[in-house]
Amino acid sequence: MIQDYLILSIILFCLGILGVITRRNVFTVFMSIELMLNAANLAFIAFSRLHESMDGHVLAMMIMAVAAAEAALALAVVILLHKHKGKLDTNVFSLLRG
Amino acid sequence: MQDFVSLLPLIVVGAGAILLMLLAAFEKLEVETGALISMVFYGAAFFIQLVVGGGPQDVIFDKIFNGMLATSNFSMAAGLVIFGCGFFTSMSCHSYFGVNKFCTLDFYAIKMFSVCGMVLLTMAQELVTAFIALEIMSLGIYILVGYDRTRLTATEAILKYLMLGAFAGAFFTMGAALIYGGAGSTKFVAISQFIAANPAGQPLLIGGAFFIFIAIFFKIAAFPFHAWVVDVYDGASAPVTGFMATALKAAVFALFANFIALSSGFHGQWIDFLFWVAVLTMFGGNLVAIGQSNIKRMLAASGIVHSGYLLIALVAINAEQFTGSVIGYYLAAYAVGTLGMFAAMSYLGGSGEKRVNFDDFKGLAKVRPYSAAAITVFLLSMAGIPPTAGFMGKFYIITSAISAGQMALAVLGVVSSILSMWYYLRLVISMYFHDASESFETQGAPLATISTFVLVVFVFAIGLYPIVI
Repeated sequence: MIQDYLILSIILFCLGILGVITRRNVFTVFMSIELMLNAANLAFIAFSRLHESMDGHVLAMMIMAVAAAEAALALAVVILLHKHKGKLDTNVFSLLRG
Repeated sequence: MQDFVSLLPLIVVGAGAILLMLLAAFEKLEVETGALISMVFYGAAFFIQLVVGGGPQDVIFDKIFNGMLATSNFSMAAGLVIFGCGFFTSMSCHSYFGVNKFCTLDFYAIKMFSVCGMVLLTMAQELVTAFIALEIMSLGIYILVGYDRTRLTATEAILKYLMLGAFAGAFFTMGAALIYGGAGSTKFVAISQFIAANPAGQPLLIGGAFFIFIAIFFKIAAFPFHAWVVDVYDGASAPVTGFMATALKAAVFALFANFIALSSGFHGQWIDFLFWVAVLTMFGGNLVAIGQSNIKRMLAASGIVHSGYLLIALVAINAEQFTGSVIGYYLAAYAVGTLGMFAAMSYLGGSGEKRVNFDDFKGLAKVRPYSAAAITVFLLSMAGIPPTAGFMGKFYIITSAISAGQMALAVLGVVSSILSMWYYLRLVISMYFHDASESFETQGAPLATISTFVLVVFVFAIGLYPIVI
């Protein structure tokens, strides 16, 4: 039972990593990061059930709050990018090159 | 009462941040006033922290915070470094924004909020508390990096930093979740008890710790995850870069040291892994730094190398009786050198940061001999030449590695230190052995200049402090 939730959580996390690495659209990248955070939340809640304590639920709520703050900043950055370039492709930003 | 006093510096800075945020509503207030107000609050917090002092590990507000925050000598030292960084960065900002007009009062409010996050991070004794503190800190820093909304490079820097930072944050939460699954708690005390009871090493715990290491390596720019740092430091404005390079590193290393010192069994499991990361970080950073022609990028890359030295200190800590004195000392020594460098860059850079390359500083010694001498002191401190603070910091790190039996690491640390002379001395040569092609006129208030010379004094004071005392 608990394994199913954990496997789902790991699948979601890996999908998130894949999205961050392969996608070039800024929105999709941020959505993938949200997916990773929610995968962690799912793992927290599943483990909370396993340990029969409420800690995991509380921690998941905290992480959600932080994720919301991060999403707010990410959207502001998306607007800033759109003002500059009119595109949301990460490839158009290559001024800074090591 | 003792708990409240220990938390007071954090409360002072938080109150200052809220006050500045409210003051930002008054349009008549000058931006310069904001810098001075924030300096007052950082100074007050610094002195309270200094007066309160540290002591052994002490859980604060055990009932209210459920043992999630604790102070110690180490967290106090890291807090002092962070408040000092905030203070001197405000001084540099005061001059920098006199020339580059894109600042508002909110800048200082956000900076103080991120300092709150950093100080919270040094005290965190629980993984999700650490995550929240990390995000308070990072969200503030992201905004500071992209504060100049009209400049395209700043926008690119914030995009890169935000994407990678949020990515690392997701790894941190997943790691916390896995450790919670393995140990049944995210509190450091409970995890170390669990490890003591189950020394074999549980897969969930190992996986979770690995994920958390990945996140921390991102934040401190250690080897496989160091590529972003050069671009982000280049895109941010000079005082912000100095703040990121010093205060952020101090806070994250405080968390890292508290986490790795959970128990000696845990530390022992990861020692080989950390060994290789430290070696590759030092030499990877040197390789990046040697190729740079822009001073900010060179300093970013040298920041990677300094992360490598701090990782040596982490390999060498004694997890049974963790004091963190070597790490705290090195953080302070590195902070004064780097802050001084960026303070000098802030007032010498000119409007729009037009002087950033090695060639732009040609002949500085002829025109402004004192500034050139100050920069030379900072560079020699970073390179580790006695009697500067950087030398003593490196000396302690190398001796701690030797006494922990890590001879190879000590030797590689010295080799890397010699390699790093190349790019530090390059700037010294371009300042002293060329003729000046321009007059290096500076405008604006002299606070950054003052902070540069105060920091020169600090470089020697911190360097000589262990000998004199």
